[in-house]
Amino acid sequence: MTTNDVVVEKRSLRSASLREAPVGTTGWFREWQLALPLALAFAALFVAPLLLLAAVSFYNDEKLSQPGFGSWLKFFGDPFNYKVMADTLLLGAKTVCATVLIGYPLALVYLDLSPRLQKVLLFVIVMPLLLSVVVRTFAWIVMLGREGVVNSVLIGLGVISEPLKLLQTELGLVIALTQIEMPLMLLPLISVMSRLDPNLRDASAALGASRWRTLFTVILPLSMPGLVAGCLLVFASSTTAFISQTVIGGVRLIYLPLVIWQQALAVYHWPLAAVASLALVVSVLSVVAALSWLGRRSGGYVHG
Amino acid sequence: MFSRRTLLSGAAALGGASLLPGLAHAKGGLVATTYPGTWEDAYRGIVTPLLKKKEDIDLELAPLFAMDQVGKAKASRGAPPFDVFVLDPGPRIVAIEGGVFDKFDPKKLTNLAKVPDGFADDWGVCVGAQVVGIAYNPKKLPPPKGWKDLLADPWVSRLGLTGFQTTFGTSSIIEISKQFGGSLTNVEPGLVELKKVLSKVAAVALPAAMPGLFQQGQIDIMYTNTQTVATLKGKGIDIEFVKPESGSIAFYTTMHIAKGTAETANAYKYLDLVVGREVQEALSKAPYNFLPVNKEVPLGADLPMKSLDEMTKYVNHDWAQINPLRAAWIEKFNKDMAK
Repeated sequence: MTTNDVVVEKRSLRSASLREAPVGTTGWFREWQLALPLALAFAALFVAPLLLLAAVSFYNDEKLSQPGFGSWLKFFGDPFNYKVMADTLLLGAKTVCATVLIGYPLALVYLDLSPRLQKVLLFVIVMPLLLSVVVRTFAWIVMLGREGVVNSVLIGLGVISEPLKLLQTELGLVIALTQIEMPLMLLPLISVMSRLDPNLRDASAALGASRWRTLFTVILPLSMPGLVAGCLLVFASSTTAFISQTVIGGVRLIYLPLVIWQQALAVYHWPLAAVASLALVVSVLSVVAALSWLGRRSGGYVHG
Repeated sequence: MFSRRTLLSGAAALGGASLLPGLAHAKGGLVATTYPGTWEDAYRGIVTPLLKKKEDIDLELAPLFAMDQVGKAKASRGAPPFDVFVLDPGPRIVAIEGGVFDKFDPKKLTNLAKVPDGFADDWGVCVGAQVVGIAYNPKKLPPPKGWKDLLADPWVSRLGLTGFQTTFGTSSIIEISKQFGGSLTNVEPGLVELKKVLSKVAAVALPAAMPGLFQQGQIDIMYTNTQTVATLKGKGIDIEFVKPESGSIAFYTTMHIAKGTAETANAYKYLDLVVGREVQEALSKAPYNFLPVNKEVPLGADLPMKSLDEMTKYVNHDWAQINPLRAAWIEKFNKDMAK
């Protein structure tokens, strides 16, 4: 064993003992004190309005004069709304799949780059976040439109003779959302993957595993927490992306945010808008909860 | 917890109007709504600098469609996100019923005598009129004759549709329906016909998205008001306004002071300036082509009507009858148009 190895071992021992240091009751309380300001802010700015929203949903009429379950019965009594809910969740699932398919290989590429190129790639990934979502969405109109960049190029190359219909279709919407939500997938993924010990890959190769086997049995399980976090963010963000959904998808593709907007700001039926909002929150949260359960399970699998 | 200015900035961002300049905090301030597009351009270009020069009031314009304004005012409960509304007849009735206006005293306007009789009442003052018809791209389509053409070839495959969220959308679908046997309170025949050609229609979108879609060539024909046509034309886009055979739709636009505002005095100064000769004259000229509401202002050549007296010759809709039906129409439109 060389001196270097000993140092590394000592270091890892120290960090391990730090990690496992028992947190006493006083320590636990101290941690809570630190979290208190944020907890109070959340209670005031998030929990209270949510309760108010729930209260509003239990009125039958627009003027909030007759309490009752009328709005709930109306919303859930209409099969159309189930379709809208399913479409909303499905849109999230499709966007998650697309961002994973494109984002994961990109994260793998990132791992193999030199630190300097990593910085460049990271900047490119974060850059879209610096632009307003409105601007990014309108840029996609220019890209996907009948006379947009994609169609002009394809017609110019002679691939197609009639412009493809990309705007106002779910395909176009998923394409745009994939780009718009990509940073939310890549950032957690990269932060987890760049902490992976490169020796593990070498060890796997030395033990005779092919590159694919290394990917599926070593890298993928270890990067699971990042992948799950990315999926969570992309799913929650794409299912609620009102501007992108309406501007790129149009109003023939109906998702819950559009229904909420119409009921709140065009019809002024707040109880119905509240029910639709709660339906969105609950349905998205249940998927998010399932995903994070999956994340915890995979975390346990890796460490245990 | 929230100041009305933060609420406003959030609201404006939601409306896709995140281009508001830094929100002013000057003492002599006023927040007034305006319609996105021509109204916004015209008021920003003419009224804002003039109000600053004459009264030292910093005018903030919040671009929002009429229904959105009423929705936001109702949601803010007593702390209005803006001081002055600009509304169409339908939302005006909803707003009066919702109690979001302060009582208006026309006598406080020094320019009252120059405004035609009946243009100011206990709720607000009329500042203009809008004329709605068909707009199309003359380089790509032959001129349509009337509402029925929208649903026929070759126009239908280039048509951009919007639903009942706005006054112009609602009025236009009513007029389309009338061509197929419907009436002011029965849009069913129109929706049935729309559904038949739906697979051909180029786009069904939110009202705010329509000018952008037209500009990008995604659609080449739509229903809209003359001012939107003027703005797009001003940007060099091929667009022409067509008065449908059955007549264009016209309605008055009114301004109102919000209940609970702290800027009542400034609001009256603003309204007085808006109906005054200087502003009305500037607004009536190209590229804005607004109909003047000041009797001293001569009428421009490009105006859709020669005087506001002509309003009676246009198609007018009774919004007291339409309002109670709109919620159901919006729902129906969603279901009929959904893929």
